[in-house]
Amino acid sequence: MTQSAVSSEPVAHEDDASNVVAWLEHAAHLLPSQGPISVFVHHNTLHAFEQLPFDQAVQTAADLYDCHPYLPEQDYRTALRHGRITAQDLEAELFDVLGDRGDQLIGRLGTRHELWLSMLGHPLREGAEAEIHWFVEETEALYRFRDEASAADKQRSIDDTRRWLVRDYRDEAKVSPELHLRIDRLIDQFGGPGSIGDWDDARWEAFTLHLLWLACEESTAAAPCEHAAANGVGWEAADALVDPVMIRLCAAYLDQGYAPWTLPNRDQGLLAAFLSLHAETRPAESWLRRLPQRVREIQQQQPAAAELIWSLLDELHVPVERREAFLQHELLRLPGWTGTLWQMETNAEWAPWPAPAGSLVELMAVRLLLLTFAAKAADGETPAQSASERRSRQDRANLAFVLFQVAEIRGWSGPDLLQLAPEELSMLLAEIRAFPSRVRRRVYHQAYERHYRNAALGALSAAAARTSPPAAAPAYQIVCCIDDREESFRRHLEEIDPDCETFGYAGFFGVAMYYKGLGEAHFRPLCPVNVKPVHYIVEEPVYTEADASRRRAAARRRLGRAAHGLTLGSRSMIGGLVAGLLGAVATLPMVLRVVAPRLAEGLLRGAGRLVRDQRTRLHLETIADTDGDRKDGYTVDEMAAIVEGLLRTTGLPGCWSPLVIICGHGSSSVNNPHAAAYDCGACGGGRGGPNARAFARMANDPRVRALLAERGFPIPPTTVFIGAYHNTCDDSVAYYDLDALQSEADAALTRAREAIEEARRRDAHERARRFESAALNLSLDRALRHVEGRAADLSQVRSECGHATNALCLVGRRAWSRGLFLDRRAFLTSYDPLLDDDDYSVLAKLLAAVIPVCAGINLEYYFSRIDNAGYGCGTKLPHNLTSLLGVMDGAGSDLRTGLPWQMVEIHEPLRILFVIETTPQAIAKIAADNPAIDRLLAGDWVQLAIIDPADASLQLFRGGKFEPLPTTNDTLPTVASSYAWYRGQRDHLDFALIDAGDAAAIEEAAP
Amino acid sequence: MTIETALSIAGLVVVLAPLLLVLAFCTSALTRWTPSERTSARLTEASVLCGLLAAGFVFVGMLATGSRNVEIELGHWASVHGLSADDAYHFHLKFVFDRLSVPLVFLTFVLVGTVGAFANRYLHREPGYHRFFSLYALFLLGMVGATLAGTVETLFVGWELVGLSSALLVAFFHDRPGPVENGLRVWSVYRFADAAFLIAVVALHHVHGAGDFAELTGHGAWPNGEATLSSGAALAIGLLVLIAAAGKSALLPFSEWLPRAMEGPTPSSAVFYGALSVHLGTYLLLRVSPLLALSWPLSAAVVALGLATAAYGAIVARAQADVKSALAFASLAQVGLITAEIGFGLHYLPLIHIVGHATFRTLQLLRAPSVLHDYQSLENALGERVANGGGPQAAVYRFAYLRGQLDGWIYRFVVEPFLAVFGVCQALEMRWLRWLAGESSGAKAEPTAPDAAQKSEAA
Repeated sequence: MTQSAVSSEPVAHEDDASNVVAWLEHAAHLLPSQGPISVFVHHNTLHAFEQLPFDQAVQTAADLYDCHPYLPEQDYRTALRHGRITAQDLEAELFDVLGDRGDQLIGRLGTRHELWLSMLGHPLREGAEAEIHWFVEETEALYRFRDEASAADKQRSIDDTRRWLVRDYRDEAKVSPELHLRIDRLIDQFGGPGSIGDWDDARWEAFTLHLLWLACEESTAAAPCEHAAANGVGWEAADALVDPVMIRLCAAYLDQGYAPWTLPNRDQGLLAAFLSLHAETRPAESWLRRLPQRVREIQQQQPAAAELIWSLLDELHVPVERREAFLQHELLRLPGWTGTLWQMETNAEWAPWPAPAGSLVELMAVRLLLLTFAAKAADGETPAQSASERRSRQDRANLAFVLFQVAEIRGWSGPDLLQLAPEELSMLLAEIRAFPSRVRRRVYHQAYERHYRNAALGALSAAAARTSPPAAAPAYQIVCCIDDREESFRRHLEEIDPDCETFGYAGFFGVAMYYKGLGEAHFRPLCPVNVKPVHYIVEEPVYTEADASRRRAAARRRLGRAAHGLTLGSRSMIGGLVAGLLGAVATLPMVLRVVAPRLAEGLLRGAGRLVRDQRTRLHLETIADTDGDRKDGYTVDEMAAIVEGLLRTTGLPGCWSPLVIICGHGSSSVNNPHAAAYDCGACGGGRGGPNARAFARMANDPRVRALLAERGFPIPPTTVFIGAYHNTCDDSVAYYDLDALQSEADAALTRAREAIEEARRRDAHERARRFESAALNLSLDRALRHVEGRAADLSQVRSECGHATNALCLVGRRAWSRGLFLDRRAFLTSYDPLLDDDDYSVLAKLLAAVIPVCAGINLEYYFSRIDNAGYGCGTKLPHNLTSLLGVMDGAGSDLRTGLPWQMVEIHEPLRILFVIETTPQAIAKIAADNPAIDRLLAGDWVQLAIIDPADASLQLFRGGKFEPLPTTNDTLPTVASSYAWYRGQRDHLDFALIDAGDAAAIEEAAP
Repeated sequence: MTIETALSIAGLVVVLAPLLLVLAFCTSALTRWTPSERTSARLTEASVLCGLLAAGFVFVGMLATGSRNVEIELGHWASVHGLSADDAYHFHLKFVFDRLSVPLVFLTFVLVGTVGAFANRYLHREPGYHRFFSLYALFLLGMVGATLAGTVETLFVGWELVGLSSALLVAFFHDRPGPVENGLRVWSVYRFADAAFLIAVVALHHVHGAGDFAELTGHGAWPNGEATLSSGAALAIGLLVLIAAAGKSALLPFSEWLPRAMEGPTPSSAVFYGALSVHLGTYLLLRVSPLLALSWPLSAAVVALGLATAAYGAIVARAQADVKSALAFASLAQVGLITAEIGFGLHYLPLIHIVGHATFRTLQLLRAPSVLHDYQSLENALGERVANGGGPQAAVYRFAYLRGQLDGWIYRFVVEPFLAVFGVCQALEMRWLRWLAGESSGAKAEPTAPDAAQKSEAA
């Protein structure tokens, strides 16, 4: 402890201590920003880097977090083999990247474009020096050409070598004496100069390759070296000692109520709790032996956490100029725990136990305190910085090896390389260096995206070119969430009943509220995360059931207390004894739940129905328009504004039908800590049923309709709205308040319900094709049973696919995409540009929500898929729910943030492509007004194309400006039904048009 | 065919079913043919069903004939004649169906079958799917072998298979260092316990010549056997068996391996550390319970260890913030109680307790990922936040939080001295070798004592 130094420079010290807090809070932005897992909000994993362009951001982050920026090269190569990327895509991408520079000649060995293309086309292995030597000496690498080398190139290379050896090598004195010596030695190895005439083909092949490798080694021997920046700060061993202690401390400190006992003194902050916990311990581990004494010293001095950190940094001999970097490194050591702690400190006032302010700084103080002891214990174990000598040897070996492989593929022979002029050689090496694996992966990735983009835009322009039939009055209309999972539901509904009309609108339907369902303990926000609701809506029993409801609530409370007692008791000694003795009774439910999940779920639900209320209503309206941040309901004015918002955006009022169904969605799964990640993103990871229900009631209210009529949106009195809820996991659809409808709507309602019943079965069937455990030839009913079983199955780690495969977001009228098979990969937002004003205010408001939300979902999936171990949370199998906050891997690891492998397994990591029906001017204005959108667009975090409302022409946004797309004459395949297109297929599907005109064909095609 | 033959055949099927499963998976490993997920699952299912039905048949047969002890002899495998025929030193391969083994073999098949069905879906598309089921089959064989064993040797074989498969399943995710380290930790505790067990077996042979339980525990069917050992021998052998049981069942002072073992996939954690594997030690004690009756100091030791473990588990469980650790320590509390019950000379109560606790805890562990949802439902039912009653005295909390630092103390007082002794031996040996080689000291670099210590620590 450098107390004397501290007291001798008080002023400087104060400055420094405040620096510490600023540094830490700055570095905290690099931590994952995932809060408690019960409220899962999709966001860009690299949000902290959004001010950088995408490519730069992913590479910076890759270095910082030691993660992948793109998929591994071999994945792209597999995609190339399967036609997911075509050779034209790669050519085009290279053309874009290189531009005119592609035609430049590299010595006499072809153009840069050709060189890069062949480096892309074939795997180029790299490795440690010893690995390369092993490969060269122990495998057939120097005896047989790689399989990829074409026969012609191979032959040319051999012929070159032969000619050079017998004709030029002896005559020309171009070769240096040392090289001469090496080549002579090589010839001796092959039997000496006398035997050359007798060499057979195999021997010539081997000699060619040996000479080529020699030439590669020779060419790179003098190459300047690139040093990778030294990574890490050399504290690995000490950090490894500290981590388990920190994990247990964080878990106890942040526990939201799982453990019956809470950490003493945690309300006084992390440092105080840690100090009081350890002041009296007798640590068994030798490295901590002097900790208690030190803790007592600190307790007496009572330094502020920041001061303590500063003095500990002194003690660890971290130079002042390196301290910020050091703190950042330590902060990122357990990013999950540290990030969650930071979230609990700054962003979780609603949680049962939000962490007190200053926790993050105290965490660092505790960590450094432990590190001082660990550093002493680990002294001498810190690996020495690798010598620069060794690194440059490594670098050269790799360069030679890559050069060797490129030469093989390109058909260059050893003499080709040996005869290069020095400046040509250095140019060649620089060229190879300029295209390392990471750049190749970037090019591949862009080609991967280009392929999908071209297909999508081609399909859209083909679909838009269709002449749409004159709009008849629809039989009924349904407004779903924009969610990609509703795409297939809507498509099937339109196929079944061509007279219906479907719309997409953010799934909270403008009703941003805190909602408390009947039988729920807390209000929870049902709206996008960036909206802070002020309206508190409660679900109540209907008047006649109020008494019964009270009785049921009491019964629930009693059952709950009993369950709580049982849970806690089973973990105690005596309660456990009772539970243990009677435990054999648990066999039945266990076996039933595992073997027959659907049956067990049905029984459970049946039992639950006894204590749940059947008939409820929403307390939706408030009489008094009170100001303030809490309103117990909406005024009629507010309701009218909400309804108007939807009408104006979606273009719903174009042609009224007798029935409008507002359909929210959510997902039910069991035994799934990540359940909230499957729910409605527009509801902040909640379930959108109550929003749909509230909206329908508002739109049915005659006073609201009167106000709307004044504002130019008259709703015919014959039109009724009803709310519904689509469960995307078991594909059930429930309706709200049907009993309140007038009988005139019955006919339309019956028709709609029948169609929806069929649509959900077909939806389940289409979804089942992506589940390997569902046979491809399931009937509709079996498919529905299959997805219902998944939702109820304790052992199911893939209850549904979530947003996996999302790639596209359409903003515009449904007419462009109706009848287009989008494979559940597109967010569909209805927007009618004709109803917008000249300021594009409707679109601006729409995009302000749609772009960040969809981009957040898309980028979270992107990063979790690209590097599931680094950005995602790995496989679900060993997950261990901790502190009711998140999951660890097994018994004690960092808290894992991001998405599990099972959610992203089938995802194609692509940046989302927005296709918006509007003009470049509108986009320019909206981006100028909205910095968040501007950042995403300018940094290429999302792709954007626009479709002109007038002539359906497409323009692509690239490099800050719109480029018109050439109209393609490609025709899309046309099929009779979605089923005809997807049947028997597991993989991603191409676009296709569905000609819903022929109803008979559909009947026939239905499974 | 007499009823006895039928029973014997059925009993044989109980053992053969898992054995064939293991053989099937072993052959597949040899032929580089990896069965599909479906095949693996079907094979496991078939094996479990066969075994379960056969066990049911034996059980019904035993009820019908009133037989309380069905023995299946698979021959003498080694025999060295002593002074008299009784003293002959021999190995039997013998399985016994009695009131103790039948419930446990039922429990094994039911739990392994259920959890196997669970794992089939849980591990779907996991790269290690087949490895999991191979190890799982090995575990089943070990469990069945150990529960039905009629001789100590047979029990030991089953015991080892269970230990091996547990350690390998803890290290299932071998791409991360944590599971591998913890798997190794579990393995080393098991080895320690096995050593004690092995010494007990040798001692038993020394005293009796045979490893049959019948010799050890008298000829009555369980639990009415009467041991024929002297009380001194009973105490010595009994203490060794107690150490073996303590290692396997994570009794004090080995308890900290139990939460460490929660690294594998959830289903294996459930069936191993919630249900079967962790009860194997108590099963061993039950099996040799007539021995306990011979020596009151032995019974007292069992009771004391059991109660201490129960108290330890119950206290430590209350400070664990993660689900699997909390359940591990809660299991431990019950295992401790069961041990104490055995020490008190009870037979049926601990048996019922084992069966009940195993099923109950398996269900809890399988539902471990639901805890968040359960808490929300609970809050909804209560209409308020779930209140946890503060905490105990600071010292008690500290004990619970640090889990009594058992591993730390073991490391300091057992492992470190152990390593130090071997380090010294290594140094001496090197010096000796150098002297033999005629080198002057310190001429060549060689592994030094700290190096060796590090290595064995890492191992």
